Amino acid sequence: MANKASKKHPVLFHVDMNSFYASVELLYRPELRGKPVAIAGNPKERRGIVVTSSYEARAYGVKTTMPVWEARRKCPDLIIIPPNFDRYREMSQLMFAKLTEFTPLVEPVSIDEGYMDVTDEALTNDALNLANLVQQAVFGELGLPCSIGVAPNKFLAKMASDMEKPNGLTVLRKRDIQEKLWPLPLIEMHGVGAKTNERLNRAGLKTIGDLAEADALWLKAEFGIKGEKMYERAHGIDERQVDPEAAGDRKSVGRSTTLRENTNDDAELLRQLERLSELVAVRLKHHHLCSNNIQLMLRNRNHETMTRSQTSVNPKMEADDIFEAAKALFLKYYDGEDIRLVGVTALDVYSRDEAFHQLDLFRYAEEVAKAERKREE
Amino acid sequence: MNWNELLKRQPAAVRVLQGGLQKERLPHAYIFEGEAGVPKEAAARLLGQAFLCEERTTVHPCGECSDCRRVLSGSHPDLLTIEPEGASIKKGQVEMLQKEFTYKGMESAKKVYLIHEAHRMTASAGNSLLKFLEEPEGETLAILLTENLHFLLDTIVSRAQVVTFAPLPEDERAEELKEQGYTNGQAALLARIADRATVEAQEEPGAWIVQAKTVVVQLTEEVQKRPQQVLLTLQEKWLPHFQDRKEQQIGLDLLLYWYRDVLYTKLKRLSLAYPDEVERLHEEALHTSEEKVSRQLEAILDAKRQLAANVNSQLLMERLLLRLQEGF
Amino acid sequence: MKFTIDREEFVQGVQHVNRAISPRSTINVLTGIKIEADTDGLTLIGSDSDISIQSFIPVADEEKEYLQIEQPGSVVLQAKYFVDIVKKLPGDTIEIEVQEQFAATVRSGAVVFNLNGLDPEEYPRLPKLEEDQSFKIPQHLLKDMIRQTVFAVSSQETRPVLTGVNLEIEEGKMTFTATDSHRLAMRSAEVETDASLSLSNIVIPGKSLTELSRIMDDAEDLIEVVVTETQVLFKFDRLMFFSRLLDGKYPVTKNMVPTQTKTDVTLERNDLVQALERALLLSREAKNNVINVKTAGDALIEITSVSAEIGKVQENIEVASLNGEDLRISFNGKNILDALKVIDSDVISIQFTGAMSPFVVRPQDHDQMLHLFSPVRTY
Repeated sequence: MANKASKKHPVLFHVDMNSFYASVELLYRPELRGKPVAIAGNPKERRGIVVTSSYEARAYGVKTTMPVWEARRKCPDLIIIPPNFDRYREMSQLMFAKLTEFTPLVEPVSIDEGYMDVTDEALTNDALNLANLVQQAVFGELGLPCSIGVAPNKFLAKMASDMEKPNGLTVLRKRDIQEKLWPLPLIEMHGVGAKTNERLNRAGLKTIGDLAEADALWLKAEFGIKGEKMYERAHGIDERQVDPEAAGDRKSVGRSTTLRENTNDDAELLRQLERLSELVAVRLKHHHLCSNNIQLMLRNRNHETMTRSQTSVNPKMEADDIFEAAKALFLKYYDGEDIRLVGVTALDVYSRDEAFHQLDLFRYAEEVAKAERKREE
Repeated sequence: MNWNELLKRQPAAVRVLQGGLQKERLPHAYIFEGEAGVPKEAAARLLGQAFLCEERTTVHPCGECSDCRRVLSGSHPDLLTIEPEGASIKKGQVEMLQKEFTYKGMESAKKVYLIHEAHRMTASAGNSLLKFLEEPEGETLAILLTENLHFLLDTIVSRAQVVTFAPLPEDERAEELKEQGYTNGQAALLARIADRATVEAQEEPGAWIVQAKTVVVQLTEEVQKRPQQVLLTLQEKWLPHFQDRKEQQIGLDLLLYWYRDVLYTKLKRLSLAYPDEVERLHEEALHTSEEKVSRQLEAILDAKRQLAANVNSQLLMERLLLRLQEGF
Repeated sequence: MKFTIDREEFVQGVQHVNRAISPRSTINVLTGIKIEADTDGLTLIGSDSDISIQSFIPVADEEKEYLQIEQPGSVVLQAKYFVDIVKKLPGDTIEIEVQEQFAATVRSGAVVFNLNGLDPEEYPRLPKLEEDQSFKIPQHLLKDMIRQTVFAVSSQETRPVLTGVNLEIEEGKMTFTATDSHRLAMRSAEVETDASLSLSNIVIPGKSLTELSRIMDDAEDLIEVVVTETQVLFKFDRLMFFSRLLDGKYPVTKNMVPTQTKTDVTLERNDLVQALERALLLSREAKNNVINVKTAGDALIEITSVSAEIGKVQENIEVASLNGEDLRISFNGKNILDALKVIDSDVISIQFTGAMSPFVVRPQDHDQMLHLFSPVRTY
């Protein structure tokens, strides 16, 4: 999708979730809030390594990829939780769905970070204010903290989001580059790895500023296209656009909503589910997708989240089919507590071109007739 | 318990149930509605016994056979009991209910579902029950017990026969409330308040009623002995405690019961609403006349009517307190 | 109650009935085994209310004396502990005595266990048997019939009655039918019974039949099956297996089998099994198991399967005969494979009635079985 606003001053956000896995775990186990928590491969195995950790754990010196035994030595009270990737994927989907409520131009980069192009939206709303709203929505409605970098392009937005964590909101304009970007050591520059850093260091380049002032031709000769790009980036130039389809292997389509007030009113919750099912159906249709696995999410007022899904023989794509599944799950699993957020997600989505409908032995004639009618429409 | 014992306490409800048994035509579902403490469960067990007892020839189950005994002990496989755990009827119980609806009985084609506190059914449980009530299979009987019919789905209520259990006499209800943990003094008052729901909705109903009582007793004492204090107490104690109209009605009820107790004390009658204020009651009874008390009661009833008609509550109370002092 | 019993025989009986017991039963007394001693022998019962297993140990048979009953009576003992205890007892015999308050003493060799029992009066009563609703069938045949149908029951709760197998008897012929509404399996057999016996809408939970087949073997002996108002009973030599029945009306299935066909194919069962297994290698990846079949000449059918990510597989199978209209049809290959695996005939025939209507797969050797499938359509 092209950037609709190439003539306007582009405004991009880089949204980076703060210690994402740990934050998700805290939603499921709110009693761990404020405690040093690390997500690590099987905690019983001494050789597990820390995948991520909460800021409380980082304060003790616990770092990502640190072996569990070492992390335990640095922080004896460290609480180790084995990773639960299904949860992270699911929250990631909800997080991106939330971002999409602000602009359709959202490009997921990984499970916990993505770019948003809010150029159009920023015309009517001050960019910093908008970033603040995004941060509040992601934290207030999903309970997940994030840092947001606000900049005219992807590179600067990414650099900006790194400047303050957690819960940071950093604006990096082109005119700020000299002051904010150039003093940084090269290893902190997005796109510069350990090896490149070493080669640049050997050539006497230590900071991003050094790179900006280096000989562009030498860089191109030494590093090829990559050298050219590095030079441009150091000057704050990055032409890459935010492309919502870049992630490609879309796995699910979901919609969630935080209720105006917590409720245990079945009728109201079902109304919300029906509305969300319609939104999911619209999105599925737009992308020519369908799903055989519909998921319901309920979050109570203590931020405890429950997800339940139901697979079906035949693909679902229409709002009423999706709602039917969500409703069945709701009626089966909802136990009457006060709910603050509901969500409906079509999981494992795939192209309608690959979809098949298994006819029913008792009703096949009706089904075929109905399909014919639809085709004629 | 048997029907005869139950008949003494709940004649109307028992007659309805016996009528159904006599005609051998029970509906597929009953809703027993009545406050906590009325013998709804006893009636449901009796009905369950009568339904499952194979020795029965009249409305009375034999009480002796294996079916009757196991209905009472709770081990009859064809009588399913669903009870809420905590705030609502939980998933495991709902799943059991859903499964049981799809199976035939174990011992005979007859099955009974006894659902306690049916108003706590989740959407899920309610929905399963509704599906079942729409097309009941075979000889089944569902008995839903509830304290509040209004919290049940209309679609369920319309498919069931509602049997209303009469409220308990005041003293019996006070005993029931004491069993729930209220003190003697709290229970005696609470048992007499018509709108108990408003009290029970307070964060700490026990403490609320104690405070309410203190305010009422203080106010009546001042009416009698320190009239110059009355308006101050109204301002500082009464109005802050009885905040909305519902609470103000309760305050007036409590006031009404105070003067009724004064009258009862004069007449040497028992069953007081303020049993732990006997001394004060005696003292006030000594210094008043039956005539004055009955005028005071009339004044309070007037105030209650005016309150219901949305008269400003402060104005209304000031007027009332004046009438109480003067006794006209 | 007091009796002494052969340990091995007792352990076996206890283990049999323990199969039916669920520790999570909502009725407390069902967490126990009911033991009942009378002058004929010892009866053990275990139940989770859905299925119940009753085992009988006679006082003696031609070979051996198993049991001495000193005093008849009954008790219910907690299965969780009792099963482990009797397995670990040291002696050749076990003596069990029950006194006041259902206090049971279990003695074997020099070991004594004192167990608190439950009131046997609380235990559910198994249905009284009306022998007029009964028939007999060889054990191995019943086991086959279960295997050949139970795989097709529905696992969805949306239509509970389809989670069971429908039993019908008409003129001495018993039929089992199972369907999940996408496929249907039907198997019938002659049984020994009063020719006037007519049964219909007897729906036995698939779970119960699966559990039943676990305790059956391929013996030739006859099993008596008794149907009551709410349960069905399978009577073995010393074992009785009860299952509660499903409530509700089983759909009428007889008229679903098409009587006219448009395309007839006869082929080796094994050829089709192997071709489907190969084709499913790809469609399994796509998670839809969809297989396409096309008639391709006089005695050839073409089987294809496509996966968008992996690729395509195509195979031509020679068939014994192919008559009627040309055809292209798509279906769930796994469902067909499930059925082919239980068909006891080397040659099968398939009757298609068009691309968008059900088709029938039958064994060539006999007409006691048929499988019905619905095709899939694309969007």
